[in-house]
Parts: sequence; structure tokens; C-alpha cells
Amino acid sequence: MKKQLFFKSAVVSTILSYLLIFVGGLVRVSGSGMGCPDWPRCFGRWIPPTNVDQIPSYIDPTAFNIVLAWIEYGNRSLGVLVGFSIIVLNIIAIYYFRKEAKLFVSAILSLILVLANGALGAIVVSSVLNPFLVSLHMILALMLVSVLSYACIESYKLIHVEKFKNLEGNKTLSNSLILLWILIFVEILLGTGIRTNLELVSIENPLLSKGELLNALDSYKYFHSFLGFTLLFLSIYIYTKLRNNSLYIVKFLGIFILGMIIIQIFLGEMMVFFELPQLTRLFHTWGSSWLVGVIIILYNCISNEQSK
Amino acid sequence: MSNLNKKLIIAFFSVFILGIIGLFTIDQATQSRINNLPLITEIPAFELENFDGKSFTEANLDNQITVASFIFTQCEGACPIMSTNMGLLQKRFAESDELQFISITTDPDYDSANVLKEFSKKYSNKNNWFFLRGSIDDVVELSQDGFFLSASLLPLGHSTRLILIDKDRNIRKYYEGTVDANIVELQNDIVTLIKQG
Repeated sequence: MKKQLFFKSAVVSTILSYLLIFVGGLVRVSGSGMGCPDWPRCFGRWIPPTNVDQIPSYIDPTAFNIVLAWIEYGNRSLGVLVGFSIIVLNIIAIYYFRKEAKLFVSAILSLILVLANGALGAIVVSSVLNPFLVSLHMILALMLVSVLSYACIESYKLIHVEKFKNLEGNKTLSNSLILLWILIFVEILLGTGIRTNLELVSIENPLLSKGELLNALDSYKYFHSFLGFTLLFLSIYIYTKLRNNSLYIVKFLGIFILGMIIIQIFLGEMMVFFELPQLTRLFHTWGSSWLVGVIIILYNCISNEQSK
Repeated sequence: MSNLNKKLIIAFFSVFILGIIGLFTIDQATQSRINNLPLITEIPAFELENFDGKSFTEANLDNQITVASFIFTQCEGACPIMSTNMGLLQKRFAESDELQFISITTDPDYDSANVLKEFSKKYSNKNNWFFLRGSIDDVVELSQDGFFLSASLLPLGHSTRLILIDKDRNIRKYYEGTVDANIVELQNDIVTLIKQG
């Protein structure tokens, strides 16, 4: 019962966090990051203004764009909601699971991460969207969903001990998954590096078209594609190893990872040939964040030897 | 199994909905940028003089996007920041021939053509930035009645705003010339105007 409670709370926090990454990506692709020039309030108000008259005199009203303000504020509000859901998770963890190190530590860690990322959000706004800080904001969010995914699967395993009891550990497979996770994180860092550089070049050269921007990038953009295909082969290997696993969830996650990597390569190439359509960018980023969490879940499903 | 299928369908449906929300939001954001540049007012007739002695009138605003400011060369507060920011924009849009800059002095007694010329060397690196002077009465009138910017207690009391003027002499927006976020906004708005043609 208590375990169920923790598990459900962790799942809600995880799903909300993924939604937050989606909305955060939406803020970036729609260019709404400066929609509210102040923080945490928006034009000095807890609810963003709906017309210029509501803006206090000490803030310059010319920066006001109602649509951008509400997009940015949506990200902040959802962030607060995620914060509350993680506080609930922590209350459950402190109350019932102080001695379950895995659950307790992951809950505390997620709270630290969500608070840190909220604070970083404030710095992002005051830096007028420094591209490095915007990327760091996303990296912290990825770490958050990693920890939350871990909390989900560990509490799930505590509830369904018998399901995982007879699962044989496979060292090679576990190691391959660790490798896959590390490579995907590197791949994401490369991707954010490309995005960061595109934005930096674009600030200095506002008239370049998106195609010209891509050409202006260093050659490591090719490394992003190359690593993408490496990930594909690695995930095919992992899939063949998991295909006959007795647990349905393990098989399913294997297919999910392979399918998601194929979709990501497709979206990535689309972005190059169609000059970075914004919606493609959004799903390219969001899909990669799902891989980060799902690999952690899969790894902890099959690496069962330590649990009692 | 069927339970999982149900969840999968819900998941796909949610992603689909998110996609539509995303598309709608991005479209709204793009539209809002254009709508956020309303036609405020048309610049009236005026005649000032550039530091090279050539006359500069409202006709010089035609077919050019113009970023305008009021400054004076002895000003130590906002003017250097405003002028640095304008210089930054001038550099970033160096390849465009659709953009020009004007800075009007609010201290014509001190700011002779030569002083303005020296001042321009400090900030401008292309010949599309005009440093203009005229009689103080003309400047006050232009600031207050043309740009709707206060001009009391000159030279100090000039506005610190940058003004964006489109190719048809219309004021489109004001920006606080010393605030980084507003300069970014101005830069984006210039791109919007250039793209509109």
C-alpha cells in the first residue's frame, strides 16, 4: 500500500516532468523565453497581464507580448506543479521509506534537482537567454527525469518482487545498456552543442537563413549524425538480446528504444533537409529525453541481482 | 496485455494532441511577433543636418528601416550605452542595405558638426549611421510631437529610448536603449520587418 503510494507519486512526478520538458522545449522553439522579463512574477504580476494597462510603471511595456508571456508563464507554472508533486513524493519517502535507501535518496535527489533547475530558470531569464544556460537548464531537466525514472522502477520492483525474482542477470546486456545511456547522453550534449552554437551564430548574424546557419557550424554536427547511427546499431543489438525475454515490459522497452532511435534519426535528417522546422525540433528534443529515462528503467528491470 | 494496449493508445493520442498544441503555440507566437509591431504614428516633416553638412529630412527615411535615438556627446549616463548598442546592431546587420541609424543631438550648442563627427568615429563603423543636429527648438518639437518622447530640461532630459521606424516613416515600436533584453527584442523586430520586405 505504502509502496503503491510511492510508486504512483513517482509516476505522476515523472510524467509531469516529461510534460515540463515538452513545454520548456516549446518555449525555446517558439522564442518565448523572454515573454516575462522578470522572475518569478511576470510583469510584476502573479498572473500575467492580458493587456498593456496592467503593466506596472517600472517595467517597460514595449517588451510586452501577451502570447509569449503566457507561453513562458505556462512553463513556469508547470515547473511549480512538478515541484509540488516532488514535494509530495518526498513527504511519502520521509514518512515511510527512510530505510529504503534507493527510494529515499532518489526522492531527495529529485527535490534538489527540481529546486536547482527552478533557480537556474531565473538565471536564464536574467541572462537574456544565454544559450549555454538554456542548454544547461535542459540538461538538469534530463537528470531530473533520470532520477525520477529510477524512483519509478525501483518502487515498481518492490511491489512486484515475484515478477523479477527469476530474472537472470546478464552482465553483457547490462553493460551494453550502460554504454547506450552514456552514448545517448553524449549525443544529447552534442545536439545541445549544435543548438547552442546555432543560437550564438544567429545572435551575431541575424540575417542568416537557417540553411546558412547550419553551414556555419563546425564539423562536429556530422559527429552527431555518426553517433546517431552508432546508437541505432547498439540498440538493434540490445533488442535482439531482449527479444525472447520472459517479461513483457522488458521486451516492450527494448522495442521502444529501438523505435525511438529510428524516429530520432528520421526527425534529425528532416531538420537538416527542411531547414529546422520548429515542431520537428521540439519532438527531436523531447524524444531524446524519453530515451534517457526509459533506458534507466530497462536497466533496472534486468539488473536484478542486488535486490532482495 | 489489453490493458497495456489501451495505455499505448492513450499514449499515442496524447503525443498527437501535444503535437497539435505545439503547432498551434508556435504559430501563435510567430503571428504575435508581427502583430506586436503596430503602426504607431507617421513621422512628420523635419529638416536636420548630418555631421558632413548634408541635409537630412523625412524623405531620407523612405525605403529604409531606421533605428533612431536622442543623445548628446557629453552625456555620461545612458548615451554611451545606447550608442554602443546601436553600434552592435549596425555591425550585426552590416550586410543589409535596408537598415539605417540616426542619432539626434539634444545639445546642438556644444555638438558642432565636428564634435559629432568625432563622436561617430567612436561608435559607427559603416556609413549608414547619421548623427544629426538642428536648432534646439526643432529638436524639441521633433522629439515631443514627432516621436512622442519627452524633451524637458535638455540636453539631460532626453529620452533613453530607441525608436524603430519602418520603410514608410511609421514608428513601429520603442525600446529602452540601455536594457539588453530590449535590444534583443529590437534585433528580432528588425529581422521581422526585413523579412516582411
